[in-house]
Amino acid sequence: MNFKGQVAVVTGGATGIGRAIALKLADKGASVMIADINEEAAAQTAAEVKEVSGKSAVFVTDVTDLEACNGLVEATTELLGAVDILVNNAGIAGSAGWQTRSYSTEEDWKQTYQVNVIGMSNITAAFQPQMIKKRSGRIVNIASIAGREGRPSLPHYSASKAAVISLTQSIALELARFNITMNAICPGLLWTPMWEQIGDRYAYDMPAYEGMNPREVFDAMIAEKIPMQKEQTPEDIADTVAFFVSDDAKNITGQALNVDGGFFMR
Amino acid sequence: MDFEDKTAIVTGGAKGIGRGIALELARRGSNVVIADLDEEAAREVVAEIKSGGSQSYYCETDVTQQWSTDDMIEVTIEEFGHVDVLVNNAGVGGASGFTTRKTPSVEDWQATFDVNVYGIVNGTQSVESYMVERGYGKIVNIASVAGRGGRPGFATYAASKAAAINVSQAWAFKLAPHGINVNTVCPGLIWTPLWESIAERRKSTGQPSTGLTPRQIFQQTVSELVPLGREQTADDVGNAVAFLASDRASSITGQALNVDGGIRQN
Ligand SMILES: NC(=O)c1ccc[n+]([C@@H]2O[C@H](COP(=O)([O-])OP(=O)(O)OC[C@H]3O[C@@H](n4cnc5c(N)ncnc54)[C@H](O)[C@@H]3O)[C@@H](O)[C@H]2O)c1
Ligand SMILES: NC(=O)c1ccc[n+]([C@@H]2O[C@H](COP(=O)([O-])OP(=O)(O)OC[C@H]3O[C@@H](n4cnc5c(N)ncnc54)[C@H](O)[C@@H]3O)[C@@H](O)[C@H]2O)c1
Repeated sequence: MNFKGQVAVVTGGATGIGRAIALKLADKGASVMIADINEEAAAQTAAEVKEVSGKSAVFVTDVTDLEACNGLVEATTELLGAVDILVNNAGIAGSAGWQTRSYSTEEDWKQTYQVNVIGMSNITAAFQPQMIKKRSGRIVNIASIAGREGRPSLPHYSASKAAVISLTQSIALELARFNITMNAICPGLLWTPMWEQIGDRYAYDMPAYEGMNPREVFDAMIAEKIPMQKEQTPEDIADTVAFFVSDDAKNITGQALNVDGGFFMR
Repeated sequence: MDFEDKTAIVTGGAKGIGRGIALELARRGSNVVIADLDEEAAREVVAEIKSGGSQSYYCETDVTQQWSTDDMIEVTIEEFGHVDVLVNNAGVGGASGFTTRKTPSVEDWQATFDVNVYGIVNGTQSVESYMVERGYGKIVNIASVAGRGGRPGFATYAASKAAAINVSQAWAFKLAPHGINVNTVCPGLIWTPLWESIAERRKSTGQPSTGLTPRQIFQQTVSELVPLGREQTADDVGNAVAFLASDRASSITGQALNVDGGIRQN
């Protein structure tokens, strides 16, 4: 597995899972563009990437902003070259204050859909012409096991992730004839900045977790839900991304793969 | 290399997809035991692996017999000292003569389930207590996209493959607490002796493809069904198996991954 000479873009690549993906692709030789709204963290991750693969860049991108998405394409092409690998990882779990509500507001629904689904479509549409022109490209979308079946909390988040799986299936079919593959990964439970907030929400919202701190909620969920009885790591997700974008997976498209210790089998 | 000092067993490894899996694992450093009924073809694969610099061994095995899969594990441990990976790949399209029967016979149902389902169960049962005791093990089962949904025409085979996916989930659950991963690969359309016999059956049972050679029937099916527009190869399946059997996929269990150019989506 070797991505030497290839150009990768990772949205939400500044922290958490996205950061691990960027570092993994760099480790295999790719130049990586970090596209994130968090400029400071993005710059730090880009510096780490540079140490690994020698080439990285940052473009402050809000995936919900079409103009920014087009700017990202220009900046990537100029600084690193035409894109080979796109990882749509940026995601949120609600609008401001969602962790301490026991219901979803209209803003939760709108903003979550805006970032997790429409943002993904924006970025994909922006990079698609380059990939079509080359008749090759690899796209991986980060969904979630929350998108696999209904859950008693965060309906707006689960629905947005189900939409990500569906989007992946449809766009995979559209792009297949151009030798472009698109697959989704459904991570299980990972201790990242996002899950710290989810832990707050569950403690606030669900009687079973009342009074627990986020990490305690997280550990309790793992004990209850994960057959392998261990948390998943950003590294796990990054390894699976690396598989999907490698030559080894050239004939895999339109799939969603759960990386979740057996939480949800499919 | 992922499989340095590891030992893998591939049932049905003498031909077609099993051969591809065996070669891919060997290329990544594994010792490979070819467990098959067909000694002559198996010996050729063994020689091929050895000439590539890895160790290989033929073990005459009938996966429909528990005593035989027990023997397979014993012989492997004697030969190489340990078993790390079991790939349950052996499969059939029916009892002998199935290619001439439009309606499957009782024997076809029996043979398909004996090899495609009990074959997986037998192999798994022979190795599970050993893997549990050792605290390490990877099992990858080969089902088929045919197992992803009912279709007219080949219900024996499709039903057995659906059962294979289900059986894999059962053992994934059971073995998860011991850190043992059980996953399934669902191949799409791969030109092997098995597919040749499926094409023969279509010809001899008067399905629309009469007049074409088996290979032409295969190619026609590929162009009708595969969004990526090309056949899949035994190497593709081998690469997916190699990923799922590696420590890079240690958080993935109970999953079924389609390697099918996008024929079916999961
Ligand atoms: N942590 C988990 O357990 C878990 C489980 C399943 C799925 N996921 C998914 O994995 C992905 C990454 O999650 P994480 O846990 O690393 O979260 P995180 O909050 O740690 O990181 C998300 C990153 O996305 C960036 N981002 C947010 N909105 C953006 C926007 N509009 N444009 C560009 N960048 C934006 C953030 O700045 C941040 O760097 C998300 O899609 C998330 O839904 C996480
Ligand atoms: N070829 C395809 O397009 C395709 C698609 C989906 C799934 N599959 C599955 O992939 C697997 C391999 O298929 P293939 O196309 O390479 O088939 P194949 O007929 O070319 O090879 C099957 C191998 O299994 C061996 N075998 C059969 N019965 C056995 C038994 N009882 N014990 C031990 N070995 C036995 C055979 O001797 C042969 O070497 C099967 O499970 C098949 O159902 C194939």
